[in-house]
Amino acid sequence: MSLFNRGDKSGSGPQQPERPQNQTRPAPPPPQAKAEAVILKTAEPPRPTQAEPPRPAPIVQPPTPTTARTGAHMPSVISKTLKIKGQLESSEDIQIDGDIEGDVRGINVKIGQNAKVKGTVYGDEVELAGTIEGKIESKKVTLTGTARMTGDILHQDIKIDSGAFISGSLKPEYGKSDSKPTLKPVAGGASANVSPLSAAARE
Amino acid sequence: MHDEAEGPPSFLGPGISIQGVLEITGELVISGHVRGHVAAIKLVIAAGGHVEGDVIAREVVIAGRLDGRAFAPNVTVEASAVVEGRIFHTNITVARGARMSGRMPWRPVSYFETLDKLPEVRL
Repeated sequence: MSLFNRGDKSGSGPQQPERPQNQTRPAPPPPQAKAEAVILKTAEPPRPTQAEPPRPAPIVQPPTPTTARTGAHMPSVISKTLKIKGQLESSEDIQIDGDIEGDVRGINVKIGQNAKVKGTVYGDEVELAGTIEGKIESKKVTLTGTARMTGDILHQDIKIDSGAFISGSLKPEYGKSDSKPTLKPVAGGASANVSPLSAAARE
Repeated sequence: MHDEAEGPPSFLGPGISIQGVLEITGELVISGHVRGHVAAIKLVIAAGGHVEGDVIAREVVIAGRLDGRAFAPNVTVEASAVVEGRIFHTNITVARGARMSGRMPWRPVSYFETLDKLPEVRL
């Protein structure tokens, strides 16, 4: 049954070495890169022309990203016919083309042209080509020309293409509040403030 | 039965966890964790995937874990599957090795046709 195979593929995919093929080279390069780096170090003196020290450095960096990428070899896709009502959390990249009513938490979140999100989108990087009614909290925000954003954007770095629609305010405060973790304490602090006040009032 | 407004299949990777209601007129592959109701035309719970709640589809393939009920005329349970709950089906295949706990009530196809129209009422 073709079903069976389909299930097999998607099921075994995550653990099988087939995946690297999918994502092409991110996984293989690091070892090579390391090897190259080593070779370069030893080989550098004879060939100063090839000495491009910057190269080894950038290539050596990837190992950490690749480990992160390995989990995201098949990025999650929420296709246009999928509707979700509720909370979505992801430790990997997501592509959203469908409808979501609720909050989205991810690392790298791409919201496609026909996608609609009602709620807050949290991420390290949010790319919006569709519609959000709610809020964005992200270090890096990109609004393409087709973006429609209704609500505030908390960011550190933002890019807005011409044509994007924004109704709301942009606040470069993402790093300062450190997003959710400190927001809660703030709320807690506020309530803590209230109780002493009320206590004082009683006194 | 259905109008097949098929798009590209949706894929929920292992790092994803969702709480809520998922509805899709197409195929959905779950490798992550879903808590809630799922309605799809074809649903695949991949190995490593985990669904807590009721699922309804025309076709369900379980290679991961399901805690809850499944409503589907065609069901395939693979060897790596762990199922806790009921599977309402017309045709079912269970691979040797699958861990099945619970009942597998048979229903005529017509039963699912009525469900198709009102998945939420039923779920």
